Parts: sequence; structure tokens; C-alpha cells
Amino acid sequence: MAYSDKVVDHYNNPRNVGSFGKETPGVGTGLVGAPECGDVMKLQIRVNLDTGVIEDAKFKTFGCGSAIASSSLATEWLKGKTVDEAAKIKNTDIVNELRLPPVKIHCSVLAEDAIRAALADYRDRYADKLDGAGAPVASA
Amino acid sequence: MNHFEVFGLPRKLGIDTAELQRTFYELSRILHPDFHQGAPPAEQASALEASARLNAAYRTLRDPIARVEYLVRLEEGRATREGAAATREAPPELLAEMFEIQEALAEAKAGGLDADGRRRLAAERDRLLARHREEELRLAGPLSAAWDAGDAGERPRLLDACKRALATRAYLGTVVEDLTEALGESQEGHVTHRRH
Repeated sequence: MAYSDKVVDHYNNPRNVGSFGKETPGVGTGLVGAPECGDVMKLQIRVNLDTGVIEDAKFKTFGCGSAIASSSLATEWLKGKTVDEAAKIKNTDIVNELRLPPVKIHCSVLAEDAIRAALADYRDRYADKLDGAGAPVASA
Repeated sequence: MNHFEVFGLPRKLGIDTAELQRTFYELSRILHPDFHQGAPPAEQASALEASARLNAAYRTLRDPIARVEYLVRLEEGRATREGAAATREAPPELLAEMFEIQEALAEAKAGGLDADGRRRLAAERDRLLARHREEELRLAGPLSAAWDAGDAGERPRLLDACKRALATRAYLGTVVEDLTEALGESQEGHVTHRRH
């Protein structure tokens, strides 16, 4: 099966590969997997605790080209978004951007799950500093 | 008609495979296209369809793991219709472990594998392969038996246990295959779990 140029590009030049140090403040981590294919995906966001804006995002994915491309694209989109805006990213946006064929749609679902897990982890960790929506209390 | 119904069996995981095989041969003979050559086209077509359904049912039910996978799908279909919440599939600690192994494997590959590294990877692979087998034995043995013995109230919990075991087995299968591939060994005799 042929991958789209965008998938190949993200696969060959994945953006934002890596992880944040354990002590880095404002980090939320999502670790998700797809048992049917054995893929594992880790996606992290680093949020500015004063503004609620995601300043950086990193990922590490062990899986097929589409899973790597989906998570690579997700980290690009996350940067510069607020936590609330990030929650609106849908797997269908990833499918459209990467032109994923039907058999690869589950890879985009995995990336959406990873975003949600990272946001949830961030909200968990910093619950005392945040209001209900995930934005800092001071600027809400 | 589901696979259990094709064989006239109750929706249970304990199946006598010798008996299943006998029934399969018997039904195959009855449905074989050769016996329906003179029949009207509609009858020939329905015999062919029934024969394909029988083959699919036999392939699934004769394998104790495929049997559990199939049952989970059947039960999930029912659960979804009844609006039950989706259940967690893999324990998070397993996911973290698989991630660490993949990360270590990637590093080992990037650094080039020396004899010592290969030995470590092979030992790791064998350890994970043993766990993969354990998970299969658990699925085919105690988990299947528990499902058959359990009443309706226990089903969600038992279904969840089966799903977790299936997910664990799938992750272990992938990582074993990745390690085997990295070692450049023939995959014969090992788990074959094709990454899409």
C-alpha cells in the first residue's frame, strides 16, 4: 500500500521526537497502545503554567509509518494551542491531513487517544493550580 | 448465524476439538459442491455459502485462542448494543513495560549489537516468549473454564479479564517478534504476529 507524501515526510523526518525530563514543570504524559498491532505511543505536552499555552510537545512511537506520522503531526499541531484548544483536535483532522486510508484510521485514533491522555495527565498533575477547564485560575 | 450456531454448539469455550473435527467432516461432505452439481443454481449457491461459513467457523473454533477472541467480539457486540461502557484493554504497567523494551531495543540497534548485547536481547526475548505462552495457557485453560462456569452477573468481569489477557498476549507477541527480527534469527518456531 502506498503512503501519502505527507506520511512519508513525517516518517522520514519525524518532528519533535524525544521526551521531557522528569523534573520539567508543566508536563503531561500520555502513553497509549493498540493491542491488535502492538503499537505503543508516548506523547507529552509542556504547558506554560502561567498562560495555559502548550509551548512544546514531544513523542516517541514504536509502530507503523502511519502511527509515527500521526503522532508527529499531533505534536506539531499541539504547539501554540491552549489546553482547551488542544482537546478539540480530532482523529479525522489527522486522517484528512495525512490522507490515511481506511485501514490506517486506527493510527489516527491512537494519536487522538494519546493527546487526550496527555491532557488528562496534565490536568491531574496540576489540578490544584487549575480551574475546571484546564486553564490557569489566575488568567481564567 | 454465528460460528457456534453453525456447529449447533452452545456459546461456550470448552469445546471437544476431536468431536468438532468429526462434525466438520460430516457437514463438509453434505455441503460439498460435488454433491450439488445437478441442483438448481440457487441451491448450489446456498450450499457454497454454507460451506464457506462452515470453514470459517471451524478455523476459528478449533483454535482455543481464536475462540476466545471470537467470543469477546460476539459479547462486545451485545454489550455495545446494551450501551455498556468500553473497558480498558491493556494494563497500563504492561504498556509502560512494552515501551521500555522497545526503547531499549531501538538503542541497542542504533549502537550496533555486540555478542553481549545479543545475549541480553535473546534472554529478554525468551523471557517474554515464556510469558506469551503463559498468557495463552491462561486463556485456553482457567479463563475459558471460568467463562463457561460463570453466570450472567459475572460476565462483564470475566470478559474484561479475557480482553486484558488477549491484549497482553498481542503486545508480547509483537515485542517478541521485534526482538527476534533484531537478532536476525529465523522466525520459525516463534510467534508470528504481523505488524500491519
